[in-house]
Amino acid sequence: MTLRFLLSLLILAVPFSASAQLADAQSKLKSAVAEVLSVADRTGNRSALPNSLRPVLHKHVSFETMTKRAVGPGWRQFSPAQQQQATELFSTLIIRSYSSKFTPGEHPAITYQQAVQPAEGRVDVPTNMVYKGSHYNVVYRMEQVQGWRITDVVIEGVSLIANYRSQLDSQFQRGGAEAVISSLTQSVSRPQ
Amino acid sequence: MKYHTSTLRLLLLAVSPLLTDCSMTAAKKASQPMALAETATAAPKGKGAAAAAKVGPTKAEEEVDEYAASADIYDPLQGLNRATFFINDKLYTLIFRPIAKGYNFILPRPVRKGIDNAFENAKYPVRVVNCTLQGKFKRAGQETAKFAVNTVGGVVGIFRPAEKIPSLANLPDEDTGQTLAKWGIPHGAYIVLPLLGPCSLRDTVGLAGDYALNPVNWPYLYWFGSRSKHDWIVAPPAANTLRTIPTQIDKYDTITKDAVDPYLSARSAYSQSREEAAKR
Repeated sequence: MTLRFLLSLLILAVPFSASAQLADAQSKLKSAVAEVLSVADRTGNRSALPNSLRPVLHKHVSFETMTKRAVGPGWRQFSPAQQQQATELFSTLIIRSYSSKFTPGEHPAITYQQAVQPAEGRVDVPTNMVYKGSHYNVVYRMEQVQGWRITDVVIEGVSLIANYRSQLDSQFQRGGAEAVISSLTQSVSRPQ
Repeated sequence: MKYHTSTLRLLLLAVSPLLTDCSMTAAKKASQPMALAETATAAPKGKGAAAAAKVGPTKAEEEVDEYAASADIYDPLQGLNRATFFINDKLYTLIFRPIAKGYNFILPRPVRKGIDNAFENAKYPVRVVNCTLQGKFKRAGQETAKFAVNTVGGVVGIFRPAEKIPSLANLPDEDTGQTLAKWGIPHGAYIVLPLLGPCSLRDTVGLAGDYALNPVNWPYLYWFGSRSKHDWIVAPPAANTLRTIPTQIDKYDTITKDAVDPYLSARSAYSQSREEAAKR
């Protein structure tokens, strides 16, 4: 009797916990996007945007995971100090690149679609965005890194991390961790 | 007119070796992923496979190596491609960027949007023919409905009333390159075209198809090389090219501005977006 009860509870609980994870990640994403947009609105000035968005993005985006993925297996050869330096540089690059997409006063209309769970602890949230009259399919990849954090953005099929992976991997093949860090330093210091 | 058919024949002749080359490179490409996977796992050169084996799958899993297998493209002409990429970059800065700036300055955004909409609407044959060739008959019907609604209700497509109809809004773009992909023809080699930028052998053929299917180019194609002078025929294709420059420059900047290696960034973005487009 109790066994059957427990079993039925288990069967009920498994899909429920999965969908709860999806809902959890999705609502986290929604609030993150809303927060970013409100900060961007308050800033108004485009050149000040990277600085004002930085703290918000650090809260919702896992830059460590992003950098690790963008470097690939070579990451294991980085010393902890090198890992930290690479993460710092890479996050600066990403924040700058992301901020440059904003036009103050322009608001994207975002439709969230059914989230999917490609693996345990990971959720992909597909969205459709209408920005300045054009449609964009954007998928947010999220992972459980101290709560749900964004780890990749896929715009029209182009993954941000896969894109950097092709570049950083070739740097690593050429000269290891130092080459990766010096190439990142170069990109960050390139005048805008 | 005689001249016209001979140029067409020449074009076909020029295209046919590209097609045969594609099938040859396909065999080569099949062996590529293995080589790629090898370099990916044996990344630390000196320590080699032993180190990789010792670390085991848990660490590898931690890095989630789906990105190692993400779309990339066979690039045997990298030297030449990088040279073309470099020249293109200079040309964009010297010629296209000022043109884009001027265009955006002279025309207010709603006007630009209207022009873009009308030209995209006119590209209807490109979409409907390729939907049909791929067997997407429902999509072809939707495209036809969208074209009808926007042409009639939107003043030859300057406005897009079809956006208000959920089943017609946001239909994925279709082009000849995607049709060739659907038919199982692989990319062949990656090539950076002068001015046009990232492309592949297959998609170059696709571009020719798109050009021929676009009604904007029809008068030009029809009178191409003929003695009779109709200067106006260059106006529609020229306007079409002009209006795409600002968007293309914007895309180029997005992909290359914050890149570590702009060439690889553009190549990766190209192969990823083409793979996604073929899927939809």
